[in-house]
Amino acid sequence: MAEYTINARGLQCPGPIMRLFTQMKTAEPGDLVTIEVTDMGFKSDIEAWCRKTKNALVSLAEQGGVITAQVRKGA
Amino acid sequence: MRLLVLGGVAAGTKAAARARREYPDAEITILTQDEYVAYAGCGLPYYVGGIIAEAQELIVRTPDAFKHENRIEVLTRHQATAIDPAAHRVTARDLMSGVERIYEYDKLIIAVGAMPIVPNIEGIQLKRVSTVRGLTDAKKIRALVDSGKLQRAVVVGGGFIGLEMAENLAERGLQVSVVEMREAILPGFDPEVAALAQRYLVDHGVAVHTGETVRRILGNAAGEAVGVVTDARTIDADLVILSAGVKPNTAIAAAAGIETDARGMILVDAYLRTSVPDIFAVGDCASVRHMQTEADVYSPMGSTANKTGRVVVANLFEPREPFAGVLGTTIVRLFKLNVARTGLCTEEARAAGFDVETVLVPTPDRAHYYPGNQMIITKLIADRATHRILGAQVIGEGVVDKPIDSLAVGIALGMTAEQLSGMDLAYTPPFASALNSSIVAANVLLNKLAGKVKGISPVEVTPGDPNVVLLDVRTEPEVIISAIPHSVNIPLAELHERIGELDPQQPTVVVCKVGRRAYHAALMLQRLGFADVKILDGGMTAWPYETV
Repeated sequence: MAEYTINARGLQCPGPIMRLFTQMKTAEPGDLVTIEVTDMGFKSDIEAWCRKTKNALVSLAEQGGVITAQVRKGA
Repeated sequence: MRLLVLGGVAAGTKAAARARREYPDAEITILTQDEYVAYAGCGLPYYVGGIIAEAQELIVRTPDAFKHENRIEVLTRHQATAIDPAAHRVTARDLMSGVERIYEYDKLIIAVGAMPIVPNIEGIQLKRVSTVRGLTDAKKIRALVDSGKLQRAVVVGGGFIGLEMAENLAERGLQVSVVEMREAILPGFDPEVAALAQRYLVDHGVAVHTGETVRRILGNAAGEAVGVVTDARTIDADLVILSAGVKPNTAIAAAAGIETDARGMILVDAYLRTSVPDIFAVGDCASVRHMQTEADVYSPMGSTANKTGRVVVANLFEPREPFAGVLGTTIVRLFKLNVARTGLCTEEARAAGFDVETVLVPTPDRAHYYPGNQMIITKLIADRATHRILGAQVIGEGVVDKPIDSLAVGIALGMTAEQLSGMDLAYTPPFASALNSSIVAANVLLNKLAGKVKGISPVEVTPGDPNVVLLDVRTEPEVIISAIPHSVNIPLAELHERIGELDPQQPTVVVCKVGRRAYHAALMLQRLGFADVKILDGGMTAWPYETV
């Protein structure tokens, strides 16, 4: 399983979710994508997005104004 | 000079303290029916919530300190019962002994405040039903919450105090419902701003029932409240908070022939003088002048009470210092949401005869790349004829007090949209965006005033209306996250090639995240001959209703 990291700091919506969306399209089921974001709205966005797609939100943390989310691609 | 002050919370004690400085030889007496004086009434919800640990932290000054440090006599639990303006005498009763006494004055300042509006309904006398007016109320509620026996609370009234109580009770672990008889919470705010706050409260576990009136309170055999019945439902509750607003406490003034108005407030002039010589009125019992409309308005706010309490002292012998008046500037925090307003709301502006244009503009509160930036939404209300900014409201988890205060200053001085757009405001990434949130809002307003684009408020949009196309121009993943029901998605980047999917004759409302992409799309549609194009003000960020 591959792991990818996306630095989406400084990007405003829809930048972060687009970057993740694009990465997920090329990833294989089971791959893990970590994304770092400074747009605080991303927190609720990523929860809703994972809930509505087949991807799993492995972790979601915020420290010093940076949100780090780990998403595993679903089957 | 003998100065007599009726009332000893904010305005009364402020006046007495300044009078002592201005008139070192005066004999100053405060009569108050309360058992506490000089307490910070606005802090009561936070004392209930435990953020303020002890009640004494809210007491600015004790009667003893007034006596020994200021030579001000404070008589607590003394209720003034009559004013005789001709004789310059006040009759007051000592509530502990029942003895009445006469107090003579040369100058009288009435600062008796307001009392909570208590609905006359069945069960109102039950235990565990309380107003939140003074420290006595707050101590009673705090003790009940501290006992750990309470699980559910109903707050009657969705104004500032009610919502702050709801927040603090929820933070203490209670399940809280707010019942508001009007169609929206937060009176004085525009409906879309109030709706956003309502949605935020609901998302944070506070039930909010608007357009509902509490008809009766249910009790148990022990005489304790166990629930409320509204016109729509029964809600279990072992605590009922009454915060349905306040009314001026002015029966004594009216009985003495001092002019009051239909709302009961004592009418004063710019120098805070009543209709009767040597009698002044300040704080929550008196009117104040509105800076913009010049109408006599009721502004029962701690800020106004402290200011008028201070100003009145300059005018005791001659009119020297007019009170500037109020803009209705207020702010409230609900969990992490900050909501503030100043000037006229849309409804007030229309009622005052203005042809109103408004904008609703989401922006980050500081540089969008700086960690910790939060979204705020700025609403501006302007006069189409003069471009003057008439009012502003700011809501969001970011910083709102800075923009509302600078907007309040500008509005008080008659600022136009052009002037706001050109303001030189503080900027560096940790504090603001290069284009400050208020300046961005002014620029959107200028675009609207110039007729480049038309907007529509979220409260005017009906999802599913067959006559209107809701065109969402955001990207696919954004639409997956949330979208307005019945909206059609064509991302902005694809709009030109997919234009054939749309009917130019059909009214179209364009939606995006904040309004920027919708503006681009609207300009494109207009160029392509679409007859009726509007953008959704504030985009999805300010959409307060259901999403799919």
